[in-house]
Amino acid sequence: MATSKVSSVPLSLNDRITAGILALLIGSFLVFGAGLANSAVLHDTAHDVRHSLGFPCH
Amino acid sequence: MIVKTLLAAVVAGLIAGVFMTAAQQARIVPLILHAEQYEGKEPASVIPGTDTPAAVQSENHEHSSLAPPSFPTDILDALSPVTPAHAHEGEHDDGGIMFGMSRFSGTLIANLVAGAGFGLLLAGVSMLIARPVTLSNGALWGAFGWLAIHLLPAIGLPPELPGFPAADLGDRQAWWMATIALSSVGLYLLALRPEIAAKIIGLLLIAAPHVYGAPQPADLSSAVPAVLGAEFAVAALATALAFWIVLGIVSGILNDRLARMA
Repeated sequence: MATSKVSSVPLSLNDRITAGILALLIGSFLVFGAGLANSAVLHDTAHDVRHSLGFPCH
Repeated sequence: MIVKTLLAAVVAGLIAGVFMTAAQQARIVPLILHAEQYEGKEPASVIPGTDTPAAVQSENHEHSSLAPPSFPTDILDALSPVTPAHAHEGEHDDGGIMFGMSRFSGTLIANLVAGAGFGLLLAGVSMLIARPVTLSNGALWGAFGWLAIHLLPAIGLPPELPGFPAADLGDRQAWWMATIALSSVGLYLLALRPEIAAKIIGLLLIAAPHVYGAPQPADLSSAVPAVLGAEFAVAALATALAFWIVLGIVSGILNDRLARMA
């Protein structure tokens, strides 16, 4: 396992970087919306989840 | 192929989000509802001869919807779309749960969104460092995600119940995000790089935000019993760990399938 250097994710290097950065961007956006966005509606909807995941809240 | 890889991450996140919603109902939600009975109250106004603050006793009759859920009526109430439960009644005038959903639906949606987000973050990191998430290492990936995003920040800012004193929200969010970023890089250097120097730098990065110190409230007194806070912190961290292990394993299963198809 430690010696198999080549990714089993079937992507070329360029695609892998593109997909990785895309995933980080979209993922951050979603987590920010659910966990950190300073909107009363988003806060109240996600309230219990924010507390549960330990996001700073209130 | 890029789209398929991202979709696999989203699907893993959605599955883990559904699991998280179920897991939260066991311990987290009852503790939050219990703590909300004390929220906004003055500390230490206890009725003689009881352990219950005076405000809570009268409060119980006025806001029965905030009482801890008793199975199964409250579960049914929570599922009903006609009971718009506010997270904090009267606190935000323009707040309220999206589309007038019930509190449970709001929690489910938020878990799905957060799950998909964490799934994408996990996939993104794994692709950028060329270490694929597979079925055999999925649980480890999950555990490291939990370390970086939950346990290490929790050293400075433990998961808190509503009603506990806390420092300025912006300060805490900034410290929290910086700690996650430093912890992630630190864990990568510590666990995945062979060089001794890298491991030492990794440890230093992990320790740095705690040496700097998390923002703390000026006044620590709270009307919410401390025992509830302790129970909640452990329950929240344990639930988050379960979520991350499910997320890692499901991501691994989906990635393995995707690799076999290609």
